[in-house]
Amino acid sequence: MSEAGADRRGAGGTVFLRFLARPEAPALIFLVVLVAAFTLANERFLQVGNLESILTSVAVLGVIALAVNQVILCGEIDISTGSMLGLCAVTSGAVATSAGGLFLPLLAGVAVGALAGAVNGLLVTLGRIPSIIVTLGMLYALRGVILLVTGGTWITGIPNDTRVLGTGRVLGLGYPVIVLLLLFVVMEIVSRHSTWGRNVFAVGGNRRAARFAGLPIDRVRFLAFVLVGVFVGIASVVYLGRAGSVQTNTGAGLELQVVAAVVIGGTSISGGRGSSLAALTGAVLIGVILNGLVLLGVPGIWQDAVLGGLILLAVTTDVVRRRLVGDRA
Amino acid sequence: MSAATAALKRLKFSREAVLLGVLISLVVVMTLLDPLFLSPTTLLNTSRFFVEVGLMALGMTLIIITGGIDLSVGSNLGLVSVAVGFSYAAGLPLPLAILFGLVVGVAAGFFNSVFITFLDLHPLVVTLGTFALFQGLAYGLSNADAVSDFPPWFAYFGQAYLGPVPGQLIIFVVAVAVVWIILSRTSFGRYVYAIGNNEEAARFSGVPIRRVKIALYSGIGLLVAVAAVIYTSRVYTARGDTGLGLELDVISAVVLGGASIYGGSGTIGGTVLGVLIIATLRNGLILAGVPSTWQLFILGVLLLVAVFLNEFFRKGEE
Amino acid sequence: MREPGETHAGGAAAVPFFRLDGVTKRFGGVVAVEDVVFDLWPGEVHALVGENGAGKSTLMKIVDGLYGPDEGMLEVGGEAVSFSSPREAEAAGIAMIPQELDLFPELSVAENLFVGRKRPRTRWGGLDWEAMQGEARTRLDALGVDLDATSTVKRLSAANQQIVAIARALVGEARAVIMDEPTSSLTEREASQLFGIIEDLTAEGVGVVYISHRLEEVFEISDRITVLRDGHHIETASASDLDVENLVRLMVGRPLHELFTRSASSPGEVALEVRGLTRDGEFEDVSFTLRRGEILGLAGLVGAGRTELAQSVFGIRPAESGEILVGGQEVRVRSPQGAMEKGIFYVPEERRSQGLVLPFSIKNNITLSILERISRFGFLPRSERQTAEGFAKELSIRGAKLSDPVGRLSGGNQQKVVVAKALAREPGVLLLDEPTRGVDVGAKSEIYRLMDDLAKEGKAILLISSELEEVLSMADRVLVMREGCISGEFGGGEATQENVMTAATGGRSGADGPGEKVSGNE
Repeated sequence: MSEAGADRRGAGGTVFLRFLARPEAPALIFLVVLVAAFTLANERFLQVGNLESILTSVAVLGVIALAVNQVILCGEIDISTGSMLGLCAVTSGAVATSAGGLFLPLLAGVAVGALAGAVNGLLVTLGRIPSIIVTLGMLYALRGVILLVTGGTWITGIPNDTRVLGTGRVLGLGYPVIVLLLLFVVMEIVSRHSTWGRNVFAVGGNRRAARFAGLPIDRVRFLAFVLVGVFVGIASVVYLGRAGSVQTNTGAGLELQVVAAVVIGGTSISGGRGSSLAALTGAVLIGVILNGLVLLGVPGIWQDAVLGGLILLAVTTDVVRRRLVGDRA
Repeated sequence: MSAATAALKRLKFSREAVLLGVLISLVVVMTLLDPLFLSPTTLLNTSRFFVEVGLMALGMTLIIITGGIDLSVGSNLGLVSVAVGFSYAAGLPLPLAILFGLVVGVAAGFFNSVFITFLDLHPLVVTLGTFALFQGLAYGLSNADAVSDFPPWFAYFGQAYLGPVPGQLIIFVVAVAVVWIILSRTSFGRYVYAIGNNEEAARFSGVPIRRVKIALYSGIGLLVAVAAVIYTSRVYTARGDTGLGLELDVISAVVLGGASIYGGSGTIGGTVLGVLIIATLRNGLILAGVPSTWQLFILGVLLLVAVFLNEFFRKGEE
Repeated sequence: MREPGETHAGGAAAVPFFRLDGVTKRFGGVVAVEDVVFDLWPGEVHALVGENGAGKSTLMKIVDGLYGPDEGMLEVGGEAVSFSSPREAEAAGIAMIPQELDLFPELSVAENLFVGRKRPRTRWGGLDWEAMQGEARTRLDALGVDLDATSTVKRLSAANQQIVAIARALVGEARAVIMDEPTSSLTEREASQLFGIIEDLTAEGVGVVYISHRLEEVFEISDRITVLRDGHHIETASASDLDVENLVRLMVGRPLHELFTRSASSPGEVALEVRGLTRDGEFEDVSFTLRRGEILGLAGLVGAGRTELAQSVFGIRPAESGEILVGGQEVRVRSPQGAMEKGIFYVPEERRSQGLVLPFSIKNNITLSILERISRFGFLPRSERQTAEGFAKELSIRGAKLSDPVGRLSGGNQQKVVVAKALAREPGVLLLDEPTRGVDVGAKSEIYRLMDDLAKEGKAILLISSELEEVLSMADRVLVMREGCISGEFGGGEATQENVMTAATGGRSGADGPGEKVSGNE
């Protein structure tokens, strides 16, 4: 059989082809090329300090992207994460200023996030409303809640023992980077070794077949939305630590960056194909581009335009790739 | 079973009547809160604030009927506003600047349609991208600055009155009539419904799907551009964040008006009622002294409830 | 041939594995099956035959828990059961392998076998991929196939995907496997490999329900045969008591020659010529001519590229190279609109998804292809209704008003609406893709008469059909496609069941093994 034959060829070429077949391969290659280009343009780019600062700057984005990646793998979407981050940060910030410490603010942020995610999940699964509409509505509704509970004022004076997740260092690495890498490893294991992780791929890949195979489609999707809430809650404490204050517009526009990271990384927007590595690669890629733009002297107000262009570029590349390999499905 | 079916059918016929009922009761509540609300002057004045959303909602209705969506209308509005204001500030005569703005609006819509038709990408993804792109261009090109030294006659577009009637209300009424005729009396309108109900069958029947979609997304670009000129004139300022978040009002109005987010059904009458309800609600909330922070929340929740009820009733019909 | 009830493993059973008794199922007002009896014994192959739309799939979907019966009951092991999902049917040992396989194309072979099932775990609680792949390999070895368990399913050939689906059913401990047209896209060699697998299954006491319209293979592998016609149970008999001829008569309900209408034809000048048409991965170097007044049959297996070819001529999937000539003039067809302007119209096989806008009325469906022609300055004319009425009458669409949504019509009436839409465009060349699929016998014979009339009027007709009888009886000439190429052409008298099937399956040569048509890297 040719399939078996192809597998047994076992030369270096096969390893390379296997790599190319992975969803995140184009993004990884693009990342390497970009890093090389920016290094040629400005040799400060490749310094260890700069690289770590890039990773630190995308930690919040990356953590959320890891969870939204699961939602997109299910064939759904979540564009409420910007407001959700704001709400979680407001909650954990408020707890931090009154109670201090790391545990209670983290617990509060995660709880509120999980609750918001559960509302998303319930409306999508039981309410049968398309996830784009649900999370668009929630994007605005949650922003309204933020304004409501803060009355439009900032939260400042976050105590240092809460900020440790944003400012602390261990083993020469900043906590934000450690949190990001740790959650990445967790998600890789969940994806590969848990029933839910595998079901996500099945539900997004062929929903009809998943139903006939008796998979709990609603539960799988619901949990994905809750996971987003939990990760946003964790990310909110990292944010608190880095920013030291919460504004009413905290997180505004982040939802786009998150979707951009996942899609640019190589997870298919129609579900069933992708990986946690793709989400991580996409987030780092965005960090590299934004950092590179700063080094090249492009004003920050162009960020949105670059981001929009990147989303379009990524989805276009995906279409072209599929047409080239004749994957007409 | 037949009795239940008949009852549900009647319900379908009266969907617009229900919306009308909601609108009337809203007006009654508002009048109770503030007796001035029902005066003709107040009502006509209210209309100054919903025309921009209304114009975009007309185009959005057709797009949602085809099963598509356009999330970039708010950003496009900002982009057109910047195009008009800053090309004028750069020395272009104002009539030409306005024309330039219209061209930018249509071009932005056309840009969307190219990705949607030629690359066969989902409108949601494309317009999510252009949502950021247009907004970023508006910020970048305006350098996050504003222009407001327009000549006095520019106010004509957003502040003029014909007798007691605001000028933009007349534009809106004309636009409603035109889009209504297109949707219900022309082959183009039939194509819109055919694509929304079964795009593949439409293609196999020789419906020029690309042409229809290009026309739709470019068309909403034109409506956005007209809305942008009115808006810019009304607030007398051109800036990049004009129109931020308006896509939510627009989509809410269309969905509230009964268009299915899955495509295939929707009417202009329903959308107009949806626009009026949202406008009355917003206006009433302000009159009633509800803090503006609530409005985002209420609007978000309203969108969710509207979609939910729509799909709930639709399932009942089938 | 084996006797019913005789088991090959585990001694003689007293009751059938499952039994349907007096089962009726309606969809809206349409009766899909009525008062049908069917049973399956362990270790037997029970073939279920009937024309398209006879109710075979509906009946088996009741067994599989996809539909609940309106009347009658299902017994498993002698006890009445009612399944509310395929999951529950699987728990009772019944697995269905639908024509469109329910696999996960992006996942590996091993994983496809285990989706929705209890999977082996390692000591640390993670999924044990080694064990899963090992188990998968064992299952595949037991079926006598050498497949890489780590390969992605989307890269497998149709035949190997079929085998993965069977293996999946067996991992679920299925004691009864329902196969719906499993060979419709398999070459002869792949089909005989499948028959070998079926034989092994029955030897282990698994019962197989075999749905197929290839009657030769039905006789080759089955113990008993049940015939359905228009939703009714017609006959259940031992395969040895039947032959092809009386089986066909049972299926059709009348002698074959009464079903078809075909007048003597005298083809005129060439209406459509295709030269060297190629579209990568779909069809290659296809050439043929089609004359006015001629019906040209196009036979072949599902997946041989017939539909793709016709859709290419219609501009849905433009060809990469080759020429299309209409009336001797070379034309470039890039879209269905373009094809229609050249007088070509394609009536799709997928009627509900490609042929009709189901919520639209009969009128709006019929006029959809001519709106641009009849409207003035883009406005719909008042005459639209009369135009539609004329065609509805011409095709005798009965028992429905012009304003009725087509979704509520019977299969036969729906097909007539699709054909009416095509005729409204006054095409010179008609490409008919499985025009009688899912249509009752009465409407079938009307469609044949209509085709004959159209040919007499001078229209050129390409008839794509998987029903050999239909092709042989209606066509003046028969083309056969195999794996994207023309593999045979037979003039009026030459075409027979045997030589058409041989050309379609590559029978004697049988050179190509399974798994050859893997499309490169991602």
